[in-house]
Amino acid sequence: MNKKFLSAVGLLILSLMLISSVAVAEEDLELVSERGSHTEAWKTLMDNFEQETGTSLNITQYPYSDYRSQLMLNFTGGQKNYDVPYISMLWYPSFARGGYLKPLNEIVERNPELKEDMPGLENAYWEDGNLYFIPYMNELGGVLYRKDLFNDPEEKKNFKEQYGYELQPPETLQQYKDIAEFFHRPPDLYGVSLMGQRSIFLATHFMNRLWARGGELLDDDYKPAFNNEKGIEALKEVKEMFGYASDASKAHDFQDALTEFTNGKSAMAELWTTAMFHANDEENSDIVGDASFTGFPRPEEAKDEKRPMLYISWGFSVAESTDNPEAAMEWIEHVIEKEQFIEAAPKGTIPTRLSALEDSELKSELPWIEPFQEALENGIPTPMFPLIPEGSTIVNQEIASLVSLYLTGEKSAQEALSEAENAIYEILEENNYYE
Amino acid sequence: MPGLAYLGIVFAIPLIYAIGITFFDWNLLRPDLGIKFVGLKNYIDILTEVQTWNTIGRTLYFVIGAVGIELILGTAIALLLNRDFPGTDIVSSVVLAPFMMAPIVVGFVWRFLLNRTFGPLVHLFSSLGLDFLTSPPIFANGDLVIPAIITMDVWQFTPFVVLVVLAGLKSLSTQYYEAAEVDGASRWQMFWYITLPLLKPTLLVAAVIRTLTALRIFDTIMVTTQGGPGYSSEVLSFFAYRLGFESYEMGSAGTVGIIILTLALIFTLFYIKIVGVESE
Repeated sequence: MNKKFLSAVGLLILSLMLISSVAVAEEDLELVSERGSHTEAWKTLMDNFEQETGTSLNITQYPYSDYRSQLMLNFTGGQKNYDVPYISMLWYPSFARGGYLKPLNEIVERNPELKEDMPGLENAYWEDGNLYFIPYMNELGGVLYRKDLFNDPEEKKNFKEQYGYELQPPETLQQYKDIAEFFHRPPDLYGVSLMGQRSIFLATHFMNRLWARGGELLDDDYKPAFNNEKGIEALKEVKEMFGYASDASKAHDFQDALTEFTNGKSAMAELWTTAMFHANDEENSDIVGDASFTGFPRPEEAKDEKRPMLYISWGFSVAESTDNPEAAMEWIEHVIEKEQFIEAAPKGTIPTRLSALEDSELKSELPWIEPFQEALENGIPTPMFPLIPEGSTIVNQEIASLVSLYLTGEKSAQEALSEAENAIYEILEENNYYE
Repeated sequence: MPGLAYLGIVFAIPLIYAIGITFFDWNLLRPDLGIKFVGLKNYIDILTEVQTWNTIGRTLYFVIGAVGIELILGTAIALLLNRDFPGTDIVSSVVLAPFMMAPIVVGFVWRFLLNRTFGPLVHLFSSLGLDFLTSPPIFANGDLVIPAIITMDVWQFTPFVVLVVLAGLKSLSTQYYEAAEVDGASRWQMFWYITLPLLKPTLLVAAVIRTLTALRIFDTIMVTTQGGPGYSSEVLSFFAYRLGFESYEMGSAGTVGIIILTLALIFTLFYIKIVGVESE
């Protein structure tokens, strides 16, 4: 009886070992992402990867508004639900600080060409010298404009008569203002679509102008560095530009501004590059084929200088808790291959590799890729937040509020800047940045 | 005993935990700084901020405004619906419809209605010459944004008050009215001296529930204004959200939560006192 029992237990253990070895051989990777166009783009590469490697990929997607909290709670709760989080570049500092991500240096060691070919990579090396994030999608803050209006002979003639120079995509801040003023013909057409709701989007209008003037949010010692003449000028210019926007712009978020532009109600829109996908979406846009993109303008005197330019990137990271780091890195290396980028890009992403952006077929399919690439090469890709865990709080709360308070007239430019400066200083001082 | 255990699990433990974290400096973004006991520092920091008091003031403005209008309007509509007239059922269903919508949907509906470019209400205001309601857009107008949110809340939750008061009216004995009629009382006198006093417990329930739910308004603000312009529509619950889920400062967010809870207790005690004193 005893022998029989022991044999049965032995058989059971053997079976379990066999089953588990099969499971290990197959390898599962849990991917997690937001619901967005670039995720949809790389999702199309999953089947091929599974067939080629035998690794099984599962994906969980959250709405953007909820995604960061879900990840944060997952990490802080010690859960091991995800191997490969697809995240915003702005989030990795807080996750890295918590020790939730694995360094990915070996991906670059195995693919050294990435250093030259992937401009956004520089921002992905954290303060400890490790790489925790591989940029997959990138875009710039800039200006979308209506080619049909800009190329109209009558408009060109009238513009030249009025301003004394050729109508062309704005290269300088003065040109940007002139063109917005020229096309501002309410209620049929507005000069520019802007995003006035108190949010990160509104904050970018200020930061675009601050950076264009050579200013910065924080200096090298993490001290607020925007409460100065450049900050005041930037803030005043934001308000001035709202004079060439629709009244509705004062309450717009990103989607509202984009809709106004794609409905043909404005000549320009101060948005981000991925908005071009929507402008060319035949189902929802009235200006298909009529829009293009240009990088954010600079002051006249800095026209040919490389200045910081709003850089937004999403990419892959690997959870420290993963049981399959090799498979996770293999997946990342697969999707960032030039050919994979070219295949996925038209489905909703903008490749982070210059070599993929150079592809002639991609350029003919997405003609605005060329001006995007030009802007990328002529600017310094600068993340929307300072890459510290508090970056999101600084921009989302303090900078967005300061611009909003100034626009509504509740505070003067100086008062709003000083208030935000003090608040940011306090946040960083409390978190030991100034010891 | 099972009831006590249930209350302990779903109420007491989370409450104790929530109060507990307010005494700690705990930032989820900075696990390297650890969780530090700071005593009353979170309370002192938050309560000495002018911004907090402005937010409390704004919250009270919203709660008192919204709940006050809902109680008056809800009672009036319930009195109308309590009469028999053709189509009562249809009218009741239509009146109650907004209450069945999720607050986030209400936010989207009103965002559309008040859209500066294609919102039907904006066109109506323009045609009536009410330009101060259209430019700047209501959700970007610091003076009008709270009244607009009150309007949205009244639109959605007045039906709840109607429902509660209507149930109260149906349960009132007709004897009082018959006696009053014999004494020659007018309709107004019957309402003021019979209906209203008898409805007080019902109105108390409606007021308490509506106050508690109004204090935690979040969805509609998130969808329409994100607390702006400036801080014009930032109420306590949104402030707590920003601290908790944008800055991940759990101690500070918990402290704002306790302030909301305290306000809820004050309101409830106030209502009970009014009804209690009058019934003595």
